[in-house]
Amino acid sequence: MKKRFRKIAILLAMTMTASMLLTACGTGTSGDSAETDAAKATEAKENTAGETSAQDTADDKMIEISFMNLWAEDNTENIAVSVRAAIEKFQQENPNIIIKEEAIGDQSAYYTKLKTLAASNSLPDVFVCKGSELSTFAKNELVASLDDILNADAEWKDGYIPSSFDDLSDDGKIYGVPYSMLSTHVIYYNKQILADAGYDTFPTTWTDFTAMLQKIKENGITPIALGNKEQWVAESCILSALGDRYTGADWFKGIMDQSGPKFTDPEFVQALAALQELGTSEMFNTDMNSINNDQQKTLYFNGKAAMFMEGSWAVGAVMAGPEDIAANTEVAVLPAVEGGKEDAAATSGGSGSGFAVGIKNYDAKKDAITAFLKAISGPEYAKAISELGEPAAYIVEDYDKSNVSELAIKYSEMAANLTFTPIYDSFLDPAVISVMNSGLQELMIGAVTPEELAQKIQDEFDKVY
Amino acid sequence: MKNTSSVKIDKKTLFFLIAPGLMIYAFVVIVPLFTALGYSFTDWSIGPNKHFIGLGNYAELIKDKIFWTSLKNNLIIVFANIIIQMGIAFLLTVLLTSKHTKFKALHRTVIFLPVVLSAVVVGYIWQMIYSSDYGILNAVLRMIGLESWIKPWLDSPKTVIFSVTVPLIWQYLGIPLIIFMSAVQGISKEIYEVCELDGVSGIQKARYITFPLIFDSIKVTVMLSISSNMLVFTHIYVLTGGGPGTSSMVLAQYAYNTSFVSMKLGYGSAISIGIFVISFAIVILFRKLTEVRKK
Repeated sequence: MKKRFRKIAILLAMTMTASMLLTACGTGTSGDSAETDAAKATEAKENTAGETSAQDTADDKMIEISFMNLWAEDNTENIAVSVRAAIEKFQQENPNIIIKEEAIGDQSAYYTKLKTLAASNSLPDVFVCKGSELSTFAKNELVASLDDILNADAEWKDGYIPSSFDDLSDDGKIYGVPYSMLSTHVIYYNKQILADAGYDTFPTTWTDFTAMLQKIKENGITPIALGNKEQWVAESCILSALGDRYTGADWFKGIMDQSGPKFTDPEFVQALAALQELGTSEMFNTDMNSINNDQQKTLYFNGKAAMFMEGSWAVGAVMAGPEDIAANTEVAVLPAVEGGKEDAAATSGGSGSGFAVGIKNYDAKKDAITAFLKAISGPEYAKAISELGEPAAYIVEDYDKSNVSELAIKYSEMAANLTFTPIYDSFLDPAVISVMNSGLQELMIGAVTPEELAQKIQDEFDKVY
Repeated sequence: MKNTSSVKIDKKTLFFLIAPGLMIYAFVVIVPLFTALGYSFTDWSIGPNKHFIGLGNYAELIKDKIFWTSLKNNLIIVFANIIIQMGIAFLLTVLLTSKHTKFKALHRTVIFLPVVLSAVVVGYIWQMIYSSDYGILNAVLRMIGLESWIKPWLDSPKTVIFSVTVPLIWQYLGIPLIIFMSAVQGISKEIYEVCELDGVSGIQKARYITFPLIFDSIKVTVMLSISSNMLVFTHIYVLTGGGPGTSSMVLAQYAYNTSFVSMKLGYGSAISIGIFVISFAIVILFRKLTEVRKK
């Protein structure tokens, strides 16, 4: 009798532990499990019900939209602040829609999570996504095509700069709405350091440019600060523009259409050679491959580097940097190269990222999602970011320019005269980009020749497409 | 067993006691292993479309240069850890078990402390140490007049793998040390006393008594070291991300990059299975080798 009792006790204890562990697993690993969602929804429902009216009977009308983004809660970038403000307003206006926000501030962690969710077909309802990942998702039928909702509201669709959908389309269909227009290549330079080297204006030819870098180096200052540890900076912020100077935009279009051009074409190899030349002649800091893009700005802020190349998003960071450096900062883009097919009035840019919609709940929540997308990328939002000096993808005419920083004005004046050329990592498949990115690190330290790298990229490209 | 244990446990009860642990292990280790094996035969990129391609991924894996460089890097790390880390740990064990050493507990604690640090923290600390402008390593070298020794520690493809191995050796030095020390404490004091009467020197004691008597523990430690260093990821991810290029790429990071950066989940799974097979083979090989030695 005693023995049996013990057995039962052990059994009970075991089931208890097992069930505890299993439930813990359930909530711990997948925060999106139906159970927790339901619990949270009821909780939120009760809250809103309490706020609006105690007799809210429209229980089944409550719609929850999950929204994943890469702006940490305390992020002060213009876009993050404006999107959050738009969400708050949207919540007030639409008490029956609950926006469940999930923010992951670290970009590579964000995309890892996104891809993991994609692998199990549980992408959020609305999420921030780069063009290149988006087209992979689109090919695998994980994201919804937004053509129907955009075409249903022509006024909304036509409000956007037409080219801003380029990065977010695949096979002729639009899969995302843009929230800003950015260029990935802008040179932020310290005019004082340039003046010390004898240059009052930014050089307009490649020969002049490299001669200037040489002079700056002789003055004991790193010509270009580069933090390429995460590997995308050299490709997205330098090669996307430098490559285009040599090849012209038609070449890249041809690559994407597979209508003849190859990465092994002499123009592209020349671009790689030019980048290698900058690297091996030590125009960058020697630890370029082990520091990241925040640290490259630190070098610049400390006055140890004459310039750095990053996207237009860095305007805010520069203005928040040391005052004397910020006041001396001017913007430019790379000069034209001898024999190149593109003139200097171009930079790599576009919308880059946009808001995409997971296909799973799209049909069920279509109206709510449409309203939400409009709120976080449409006219009101665009006005808000324009007033902060951030280039919007939605055209706004009249906005208050008084708060726009000086550098942002300089940038937008420059950008107004530039044509935007494709950002490599917005279009090419992630596998090709991965080969290109890690190859560029080797290229810049002379561990691989331009021809070898071009061949490697082409091989990977052939494998994928 | 009957006499020593006060609680009698029959086989059935034993099974029920093991079951929860076994279930968790099966859930987080064995099942994923088999699903990964399944994925490795497909061209799964992401999403619902998977096509069976047989051994295609493995055929590619055998020709994949980055995979073999990563394996080479892993092996460098494994050997450096076995030789340098275990060597230092053995030396410290001898010193810390010697009668003449003072503050033994303090030394032990300080050496063991890094083991409990997060690998990410250690990675960042060493990144700062290696930093070319602000790093303490270069500052110290400058101070003692060894400026010629200054290198781009994390930027030279030839030396980077050694630069990322040092933090690993440093951080986990405490583990073999603790295992060795507890093994040494298991050696009967009388043996040492007899030796001392015979006038055996300290080095001879270490070579002829301590080493053979704790050899089994050393074997276990080496095995642990192989298995953990074949899977090393975090430190290198934080320090260099595998760069420059792929010069400090290790297998786990390559599997991660392939799966989650390049989004080739099928091929990434094949790499993971490759890691599993190779690590398993190395451990078996090591066991076979040491068995022979015992006879």
